[in-house]
Amino acid sequence: MKVHRLVSTLIACGLLCASTLASAYDADWKRGRIYYRSVCTSCHAAQAIGAINPSSMSKAEWNAYLQKDKHAKGKDSVKQYFSKSYRASIRSQNKAADKFADLPDDELFEDVKLFLLKGAKDGDAPASCG
Amino acid sequence: MKISHLGLLAGLLFAGIVHAADAPAPTKLNTTADHSKFKELQREFGSGSEVTKACLTCHTEAALQIHRTKHWTWELLNPATQQRLGKKNVINNYCLSAGTNLGSCATCHVGYGWTDASFDFKSQENVDCLICHDTSGNYKKLPNGGLPPVKDTESPPGSGKIVKAIDLAKIAQKVGKTSRDTCGACHFFGGGGDGVKHGEMDSSLASPDKEVDVHMDATGLDFTCSTCHKAPAHDVAGSRYVPTGKDTEGAHIRGKVDNSNPATCQSCHGQAPHKAGAQPAKLNQHADKVACQTCHIPQFARGGVATKMNWDWSTAGKLSPEGKPLLNKDAKGHVIYDSRKGDFVVAENVTPEYAWFNGEVTYTLLGDKVDKADGITLINALGGSAADGRSLIWPMKVMRGTQPYDPVNKTLVMPHLSGNDDTAYWTNFNWEKAIATGMKAANAPFSGQVDFLKTEMYWPITHMVAPKEKAVGCNECHTRGGRLDKIEGIYIPGRDAHQLLDLIGWLAAGGTLAGVMLHALVRIVRRKN
Repeated sequence: MKVHRLVSTLIACGLLCASTLASAYDADWKRGRIYYRSVCTSCHAAQAIGAINPSSMSKAEWNAYLQKDKHAKGKDSVKQYFSKSYRASIRSQNKAADKFADLPDDELFEDVKLFLLKGAKDGDAPASCG
Repeated sequence: MKISHLGLLAGLLFAGIVHAADAPAPTKLNTTADHSKFKELQREFGSGSEVTKACLTCHTEAALQIHRTKHWTWELLNPATQQRLGKKNVINNYCLSAGTNLGSCATCHVGYGWTDASFDFKSQENVDCLICHDTSGNYKKLPNGGLPPVKDTESPPGSGKIVKAIDLAKIAQKVGKTSRDTCGACHFFGGGGDGVKHGEMDSSLASPDKEVDVHMDATGLDFTCSTCHKAPAHDVAGSRYVPTGKDTEGAHIRGKVDNSNPATCQSCHGQAPHKAGAQPAKLNQHADKVACQTCHIPQFARGGVATKMNWDWSTAGKLSPEGKPLLNKDAKGHVIYDSRKGDFVVAENVTPEYAWFNGEVTYTLLGDKVDKADGITLINALGGSAADGRSLIWPMKVMRGTQPYDPVNKTLVMPHLSGNDDTAYWTNFNWEKAIATGMKAANAPFSGQVDFLKTEMYWPITHMVAPKEKAVGCNECHTRGGRLDKIEGIYIPGRDAHQLLDLIGWLAAGGTLAGVMLHALVRIVRRKN
């Protein structure tokens, strides 16, 4: 019984991995740059917290932040700001959200992640918000 | 439990089959070739030239095409003036000249290893494909003739600054079309820094919003440079050395052979671009005398990056009491004094100056006579007037400078600035030594004496087109003291007055008023009677 469950679980995991690999996404840092600057930065800049440069954190710090998925000190999730529903809610006022309205959530998230890692202070091209 | 696991398994299999049957196979839609799949690029590369060799196995004609362009030769013969121009030959009032500074300057050459006259311009492997076709944004070239750092490198030597090695294979596997980032890696940083030279080209154009440039707006039209600057056979259209002052052709149409400059406004918008608004016909009439850019680029350096407006080399060389070079910044962090370079004036949101321009540009080249007593020396004199029928009123960035010259031979000079040798000015702060080295390399005479003269250089402004709502208003030109106050040879209503014309106007208006009043008076009197 236990062996059977283990085999079934392994097969299921294998299928999930295969599915993920088949659609392995080649992230686009330039698209990430547009979304980060037009959505993340424009909102942050309008608030007291101010804009956050990608180069203000290291790659490890950005990875940890994104993995933790806690925005505004845990009040909400980071990933929700990459969701189609969020983009739909701001697209009338935000051209980047409108332009990328139909992009899958995980692809947009990977785009921005790549831009942040590339622009981190120890990244290949440390970047500011501007 | 067993049933539930089997159900999960079946569900996943079914979902996978349905997904595979319905969805087209995943592929890249922005290119027809995934370069990561090419065996030629699946290896380690020890130099940029090795990458080029791999590129040439498929793109057999690419390097030879590059060899024919000014991006490769840095040389261009102006057919109108017969002047030999190009970066290799001209002198400017920023970093003065390429000359013996090629090690640094050639970081922006589309080649590998150009540091002196021994560079092989016929070598196909010396062509740098990656500088234009990198899409990773990670490509770098060092100030050693533009070689990429394939291992961690101290640059400049002795500085203690380490440039991290780049993985050429990863970059080569991600090559693609040129972009604002690739062109901008050089053209945004001309003159030695972000936005220094052009005024309307800086890093803000890498991912601009509509306010900065309506065409390149990253969330809108998203033009790349090559959308306008077409590059058949790798030869990029639209030259600052031989610009188009007045494009009289219509919009380019697919299938119609058109040899006119594809980078002008008219090549897309035609000769009557205004279709809507309050007075489209009146605005279109302006296109006969006014460049599109004059109204549609109200200011330059609008993206948050300051541009240099004045560079005074005569104050360079001051050192601290400890003998160290100085670096002073303004409140915003802009460098305003550098011992190696002198004093700077920088500015953002700059209102252009205006001039008649017909596309003719005559440079003051090495060997041309200049004289401090003449006042300001024009680095590039613009052709154009109200009367020649070929000119339009153009917006200009006017770069003003004070730069070294030879007061005995009365010529501009090409100093040796960068390098770790004993004569480089940025190392030894000695003008005489630096100029002697630079002029010797240029095979030009130098008296040994150095003085400074004032210069001006004109840069027609053509990028950073603002949204139409932000275009220059009528009253900004049609008024005394307005934008076009110094433009001569044309009558601008609101700015200009002609005594006889004014008298006729006032007489007509006064006469009309008097006539109406007299008529009214007569009618009143007659009614009473």
